[in-house]
Amino acid sequence: MRYDSITDAIGNTPLIRIDPAVHGLRNIDLYAKLEMLNPFGSVKDRAAWNMARPGLPGARERGETLVELSSGNTAKALAVIAGMHDLSFKSVTNRMRVPEIKELLLLLGAEIEELPGRTECLDPTDTDDPLTRFHQELTRPGSAHLHTDQYFNALNTEAHETGTGPEILADLDGRAPDWFIACVGTAGSSTGVARVLRDHDPAVRVVGLVGQKSDFIPGIRNTDEVHEVGLFDPATYDTIEPVGSGEAIDGMLTLVRRCGILAGPTGGAAYFGTVRHLRPLDTELTGRKTAVFIVCDRMESYLSYVRDRRPELLGRPPLMNSVATLTDAEVRAADIIDTADAQKWIAAERPLVIDLRSPFAYAALHIEGSVNIVDELFDELLRGGLPFSKRQPVLLACPVGEKSARYAALLTRMGHPDVRSLAGGIIAWRDAGATLVRD
Amino acid sequence: MHGDPLYLEPGLEPPLSSLLESPAFLHTLVDALGSPLNVLLPDRIAENIERFRSVLRRHRLAGQVFFAHKANGSSALVRRLAATDAAVDVASLGELQHALGSGFTPDRIVATGPKDPQFRWLAVLTGVTVSADGQGELEDIATLVRKHALPRVRVLLRLSDFGASGIKVLSRQSRFGTSVRGLDRLLDAVERLRDAVEPTGVAYHLDTTSLDEKALALEGCLHAMNELRRRGFEPRAIDTGGGYGVNYLAHGAQWDRYTTELALAVLGRRPPLTWGGHGYGLHAANGTLRGALSLYPAHRPVAGPAYLDTLLSTPAPSLGRPLGTLLLENLYDLYIEPGRALADQCGLSLARVQEVRGTESGDHHLIRLGMTASDVSLEEHGVLMDPLLLPRDGAPPEPGGPVGVYLTGSLCLEADLITRRMVHLPRLPRPGDLLAFANTAGYCMDFNATRAQRQPLARTVAVHRDAGTWQWRLDDEYWPINCHGGHEQ
Repeated sequence: MRYDSITDAIGNTPLIRIDPAVHGLRNIDLYAKLEMLNPFGSVKDRAAWNMARPGLPGARERGETLVELSSGNTAKALAVIAGMHDLSFKSVTNRMRVPEIKELLLLLGAEIEELPGRTECLDPTDTDDPLTRFHQELTRPGSAHLHTDQYFNALNTEAHETGTGPEILADLDGRAPDWFIACVGTAGSSTGVARVLRDHDPAVRVVGLVGQKSDFIPGIRNTDEVHEVGLFDPATYDTIEPVGSGEAIDGMLTLVRRCGILAGPTGGAAYFGTVRHLRPLDTELTGRKTAVFIVCDRMESYLSYVRDRRPELLGRPPLMNSVATLTDAEVRAADIIDTADAQKWIAAERPLVIDLRSPFAYAALHIEGSVNIVDELFDELLRGGLPFSKRQPVLLACPVGEKSARYAALLTRMGHPDVRSLAGGIIAWRDAGATLVRD
Repeated sequence: MHGDPLYLEPGLEPPLSSLLESPAFLHTLVDALGSPLNVLLPDRIAENIERFRSVLRRHRLAGQVFFAHKANGSSALVRRLAATDAAVDVASLGELQHALGSGFTPDRIVATGPKDPQFRWLAVLTGVTVSADGQGELEDIATLVRKHALPRVRVLLRLSDFGASGIKVLSRQSRFGTSVRGLDRLLDAVERLRDAVEPTGVAYHLDTTSLDEKALALEGCLHAMNELRRRGFEPRAIDTGGGYGVNYLAHGAQWDRYTTELALAVLGRRPPLTWGGHGYGLHAANGTLRGALSLYPAHRPVAGPAYLDTLLSTPAPSLGRPLGTLLLENLYDLYIEPGRALADQCGLSLARVQEVRGTESGDHHLIRLGMTASDVSLEEHGVLMDPLLLPRDGAPPEPGGPVGVYLTGSLCLEADLITRRMVHLPRLPRPGDLLAFANTAGYCMDFNATRAQRQPLARTVAVHRDAGTWQWRLDDEYWPINCHGGHEQ
């Protein structure tokens, strides 16, 4: 397929049948609408392009900045679109909760502005929340912003009413599915698709999935937050059900490992919520039915999200030459030396003095003549073997003498005959009145 | 009442929980000393100090825990703290005199906040550490030192307005401190005044629950300390202020359910939960919820010492290493100034039920208490927490189950509502019963109390348990010589 612009490649995503052996539903054909295959990686490409497109020529003429309240996929798509049209893009957010996305946005050239947190000492007269102030600033006369306003903009819903919805109908040979299930973020995709499907067949049942309160699934709102979304109308959904982050990851693992669909946790939440909703209904059925759910983005940006919640999924075997493998006895047996003796030893035998603190701390104050190798680097260095000769005596120093004792024990185990740890560390050295210098 | 009762039960720990299991004792106190009455548990504050200290120990950090006196004006808490190894943060002449008079030596006092000439004079003369707001204040201090030939005054330089690289983190505007952008000029002044002031460190206090903003500020302080060292000073401590927070509620699920129902009430999808449809900062516009919930996050799983632990484990935004590690390896002491978090579980406020009145609609009752809204400023501070009902001894329980009530104060004023929300109680109280507002020692006891309409201020007593029975003293009569550790000496 040949296109003139990458934005022409938005939409027309595949509808993939999930193997019944995976989902276990006997009477329902389950299909995944792979919105993750949009060119910028998510379902938000459609809305971002549809919302931004009409305003782009004018914004460019007036030198306006594209602005959106987003900490995820909408910001990502808008950042790309802004760059393609020589505009700058600013993402305003109440905290980026997925660090990879933050870095990705910076890489794409976005400016990120984080709104302040809540006050600890409440000021009840301050009823003006940061978001209200944000909107006031945008609507002030002379403000040089093009605000796409994804939570309230009807063009968001329209993108799915003219794109996603009709595509699903066409791929199901002109029939609406019996169930349509989607996670609710801006409510744009679920509202737009539901409208098209219901117009075609009023019997279609629509399930909205939201995050459990006090839990977090990227890109979707929790039970309470949906009420803050302008496009959200409870009447769109026959039922709204919560999904937890653990369930989202379970669903994601099934899609990733068994279906070859490299979905992120939001797609996982959609799969999990779909199967959970359909399973009891499936046993009552006699004829064939169909259901469609949306896989909204890809897994690659969510490694830290998974690491925080399921570290065992990213587990690795223990490392060679690691301080983690030392026994208490080995650590206790490490050779330690107090400040006074260390000063004499340095004068007499000129051991290599290695300061394990960060370069920032080392630059401020250190033992004269010492070498700075921060513990993280030293750790990596030792995995390959001894980084200095066995004939070279070594004095290790850290803030309080704990880490240095562990590394001394490790070096001893690796066969170094004369490595010592500064007792009480640099703090004891300072408290003993010994000299610290800065260069 | 509609649906299941929406309780917000307070989290109770010993000794506060066992005090509340002694209603006869509490009734006797209110009979003798009147309603309202504040009750303090001074031994608990010493335990709270120890909990913060253990976090410092876990991160191998040296430092000091300063109690922010403004959280509670009582003598008992301050005198009890003076008998520990903790320190105190004072913000007025009266608080400084009180700290000195309670036994704190000047090396265990830091003077913060806006200072009038009298406050500044006593601080400089006694040699307490002064947290200085800016160049002007340093010059005022130097003038006093030079004119009266006093020893050098230890100062902490209070900084604000920390910038971030890459990502703009908006922070709330602060009235206090010197912008880090003006650090060079401030340090020029410190150099000019070095005969009179000795910068022992830098300080910040951010009024936010956000860890990201605090991490940014703490990293900014590391850079400022480095700059002080570069100029030949020997700064020792970074003061991270307060704001560690309290987890007020026993059950997160109750808080989640209550706030969900509140949002639905504001949207008109359920009967109102508040007096006159008050939305606590929320309002409805075209069926969409607007505004922000202007309430203290009463259920905070990470609060107090655990919040400090998390902050110290958070990586510095640009230096990358955990903030606690950076403090340690730069050889800095950590000063913290918790107020609310140190007063956690340290007391309660009692009020006598004066009148119980049904309403025409029959869906709630009005309960008038022998206190004003200023005596227990839970609403003022946005803390939503149910009071506990302590019936008069021997009275058979009122028939009937849970009820929704509004708690009104004793002022002749429509706005004197102790709760603007409907409070659900397990049953209807009767005149003469007590309501106990638990865990009010931090900011919710005397901070807003007024003498409007010549109504008396609450009396305050300190209690402790001795051989299984509760003992009490008027706050003024409390000294930790014969009543701590739970046994008379």
